[in-house]
Amino acid sequence: MFKKSVFLVLLVLPFVACDKNDDDQAQQNTPVSVGFLHSFYENTVVSSNFNTIQYTNGFGTSLSITRLRYLISQVSFTNQDGIKTLVKDYHLVDLSQDNSLTINDVLLPPGAYNLKMRFGFTEASNTSSVYPDLNAASWNVPENLGGGYHYMQLEGRWLDPGDTPDEPYLYAYHTISAVQNPGPENTREDTSIEIDLGEITVTQGATQINVNMHIDQWFENPNLWNLSELNGLLMGNYTAQKMMQENGQNVFSLASNMGD
Amino acid sequence: MIQKILFIFCLLCIAISCGEDDNQNQGYSPTPVNIAIPAIFSQLLPPPEIPANNQLTQEGIALGRALFYEKKLSADNTLACAGCHKPNQGFSDQRRYSIGIDGIAGFRNSMPIVNIAWNTNNKFNWDGSANSLEEQVLEPVVNEIEMHNTWPNVEQTLQTDPRYVTAFSNAFGTSTISQELVAKALAQFIRTLVSADAKFDNYLLGQATLTPLEEQGLAVFLDENRGDCFHCHGSPSNPLWTDNDFHNNGLDENFTDLGLGDITGDPAQFGLFKSPTLRNLAYTAPYMHDGRFQTLDQVIDHYSEGLVFSPTIDPLMKTVAQGGVQLTPQEKAALKAFLLTLSDPSLANNSAYQNPN
Repeated sequence: MFKKSVFLVLLVLPFVACDKNDDDQAQQNTPVSVGFLHSFYENTVVSSNFNTIQYTNGFGTSLSITRLRYLISQVSFTNQDGIKTLVKDYHLVDLSQDNSLTINDVLLPPGAYNLKMRFGFTEASNTSSVYPDLNAASWNVPENLGGGYHYMQLEGRWLDPGDTPDEPYLYAYHTISAVQNPGPENTREDTSIEIDLGEITVTQGATQINVNMHIDQWFENPNLWNLSELNGLLMGNYTAQKMMQENGQNVFSLASNMGD
Repeated sequence: MIQKILFIFCLLCIAISCGEDDNQNQGYSPTPVNIAIPAIFSQLLPPPEIPANNQLTQEGIALGRALFYEKKLSADNTLACAGCHKPNQGFSDQRRYSIGIDGIAGFRNSMPIVNIAWNTNNKFNWDGSANSLEEQVLEPVVNEIEMHNTWPNVEQTLQTDPRYVTAFSNAFGTSTISQELVAKALAQFIRTLVSADAKFDNYLLGQATLTPLEEQGLAVFLDENRGDCFHCHGSPSNPLWTDNDFHNNGLDENFTDLGLGDITGDPAQFGLFKSPTLRNLAYTAPYMHDGRFQTLDQVIDHYSEGLVFSPTIDPLMKTVAQGGVQLTPQEKAALKAFLLTLSDPSLANNSAYQNPN
C-alpha cells in the first residue's frame, strides 16, 4: 500500500508541475489536418464510385477508375518569417484506405503559411528499398526500370467507341522517375513535381486544409492523352513519363481552408 | 483543473481495483515473446503487427501450437488445423481440395499460412472474409465441410482435459476455456510461422548466388513487358512476395466462385481473390484459389497465353487482349527457376512448428 501511495504522489506531481507549460503550448500550437480530395471535372471521386465507366477525359474517351494510389512527400508549411516546418517526409494516399486520405499529426502556431508538397520523391529521396512501409505496400520500382518507388498508380478501364462496348480495355497509368535504356544500364531522371499550394491560414482551434487532385488533368493538359495509344507498359516509356510529368503540373490545388 | 482532479481520482480507483485482481491472478505471469524477425525482413519490412490484446507469450504460443495439432477441435476428433496446413507442404495442402471430417471436399485450395504476422491489411482467406487472424481461426471449426463442430462442444471437450486447463491458466490466467481464448492461442502460434530462409533470401543477404537461369527468371519477373509479376507478388524489396491485396487475374470469363465479391456483395469485386505468397511454391502445389493448376508450368502458361477477359479483370492484366505476356519457352524456364528460389526448405523441419502432442 505504501508503494502505491508513493506511486500516486509521483503521478500527481508532473501534472501540477507541467500545468503552465501545457497551457502555453496549447496557445502556441493548434492541430492542422491536411485532407486529400479527388475529382474528375465536376465529379467527386471516392472509392465507392470506382469501377463504373462514368468519366470522359479530354480526349473524349469514357473511362472508369479501379485504383488510385499516389505518393506525396516533403509536406511543409513556411511562415511569413520564412521559417519552414517539414510536417511529413512522405505519405502514401490510397483511395481504398480511408485513413490514408488525411495527414492528421500536424501541430502549428496559428498564422499565415505557404503550403508546399511534392508529388513523388525527389531524386535524392527516391532510394530503392529504404522505406519499409512502402516496400510492404509493393510500391517499389524494379531496378531495371530505375529503382526507387512509384509516384502514382492510376488504373481502370476505358471504352473504344468503335469497338465492342461490352469488353472495355484496360489502362495502368503508372508514374515513376523517367528512365532511359531500361535494363541494367538505365539512367533515371527525376519527374517528381513540386506542388505550391499558396497561402493558407492556420487559426486557433482545429484547421482543416483540403488538397484536391484534378484527375482529369492527367489526361489533358498540355498533352491530350490517347488511351488507345498509351494505356499500359508505361513505366519504361521515357516519353510517356515526361508527358505525365507535364500533365501533372496543374493537377493539384487547394480545395478549401476552413478554421473551426 | 477540475478535469485533472477527476482524472487522478479515476487513476486512484483503477489502482485500487487492480489491487484485488492482482491477488486473484497470483501465479499468472506468462513470458512475453517477440517474433524472431529474419534479417531480410528487419531490413526491408515494418515490424509485424501484433494486436495489443493478444501479445505473444511463451505460454500462449505453446498452447496455440498444441491446439493447431489438436484433432479434438473437430466433431469426431479426426481433423486438426494441421490436417490442411501441413508444415512439409508450406503450411498448405497438396490436395486440390482438403477433405473435411465427413469425407466432403471443400471448394478452394488450402491457403499457405506463413508470414501472416506481416499481413498488414488484416484481410484473411482467399475471399477476405475474416478481418483478423483471431477471427479467421474460428470459422474452420464450425464449417460444415471442414471440422463440423460447435464452439460450445470444443470448449467442453477441452475443459475436460486437465492438460488444457493448466495450459490455458498459464497462458491467459484463467482455467475457463472459451472460443475467444482458443482463437487467441492459435493466432499467437500462427504468427510465429515465419518463412525467410529460401535461396533467394540468402542471395539478398549476400550468402548465395543465383544461377544464370535464375537471374534471367528474376529479370522476367521484374520486367513490365514480360512477366510483370512484381505489381502483385512483391519483389526483392518486398520479401513477402505478395501485396496481400485482391485481384482478378484472368482465370475465368464467368465465375462459379465470386471470391471477395461473395463477401462484399459488390459486383465490381466478383472473381477477386487474395494474392498468395510466392514463397514455398515447391511445396504448395496445386495453385490458384481453386487449385486448378497442378504444376508451376501451367501457372506460367496461364499468364503467358491463357488470360481471359471478364468485367472485373484487374487492369494490371494489361495483355489480356493478346491472351497474356507471350513468354518464350526460354523465358518460361527461367521464370520457373527463379520462382523455385523462393522456397524455404527449412520450414518443413523447423522444430518449433512440429506437433507437440
